[in-house]
Amino acid sequence: MHIVDILQQWSENNAFFIWLRESPSVFAYPMVFFIHTLGLIFTAGASVLVDARLLGAARQLPVAPFARYFTAIWIGITLTVLTGVVMLGSDIQTKLQNRLFLPKMVCVVVAIALTVALRSRIASTRPETFVSPLVRTLAAASLICWLGAIALGKFAAYF
Amino acid sequence: MNSWWVVPLCKTIHYFGIAGLAGIVGLLDLRIFGVAKGLPLRPLQRLMPWAVVSFLIAAVSGWVLLRIAPGNSLGPPVNIAFAAKMLFLVLIGLNDILYFATGLKRQVDTVGAGENTSASAKIVAGVSIALWIGVVYWSRVLTFLAGAI
Repeated sequence: MHIVDILQQWSENNAFFIWLRESPSVFAYPMVFFIHTLGLIFTAGASVLVDARLLGAARQLPVAPFARYFTAIWIGITLTVLTGVVMLGSDIQTKLQNRLFLPKMVCVVVAIALTVALRSRIASTRPETFVSPLVRTLAAASLICWLGAIALGKFAAYF
Repeated sequence: MNSWWVVPLCKTIHYFGIAGLAGIVGLLDLRIFGVAKGLPLRPLQRLMPWAVVSFLIAAVSGWVLLRIAPGNSLGPPVNIAFAAKMLFLVLIGLNDILYFATGLKRQVDTVGAGENTSASAKIVAGVSIALWIGVVYWSRVLTFLAGAI
């Protein structure tokens, strides 16, 4: 049996996921979806702002202090990923079969990898407003990935 | 007007606006709380017009979505969630007016890198964060009740 089928069967019989799928309560699926939305809005918003600064917006702002802000971004990423996994678990087959699911995940994984790469480079920025061409390139890629992930996520519901 | 891609495109634009807004408002409110303290507040507050632009993008795309799918604002219990969302947005507007009218904005402008903001600025920022989280909450309840998840 394929691993997806095994997971699907497990999820179909799991009490938590049954409750999550079938409960009409706003504390079931909507609560998980709410935390997912909150986390992704914060994460994507914060990343887009940092990227915009690195690409030349608001040049009066020093770059190095942004490294501290990445702690907040990581909290957002954690909330989004955890709730995302729970929502995936509630309906594995349908979500994996969606043609836009994999492209969205690629965007998310690359965006998170870029977050790691940017943090270490930002922290060591000297002088404080200097942005190297490499960091600018990474920021542009990060911007594309976050906006791409949002667009693919929105379109996925209609595929 | 009713091609399949119109609604997801509007939602994408709606979310791009929200991301821009959340990016600026989130960082500003959190910086007032003392997160990423190395950032001086004056250049950060200069981003406010861009937050307004982002809000307008979200507002216009949101209005278009309502026109396309009026079910998301009509009839109980959906309209209650929608009204709550709008009420929270109005409260955010009042909170922002308070921030400017009381001179707090100008006071916060003088807070440089590594410095702390006043308690009153922290209260306004806290109210702002709580209300914005509320807006996201009502939006999710709204789509759940409208069966649009």
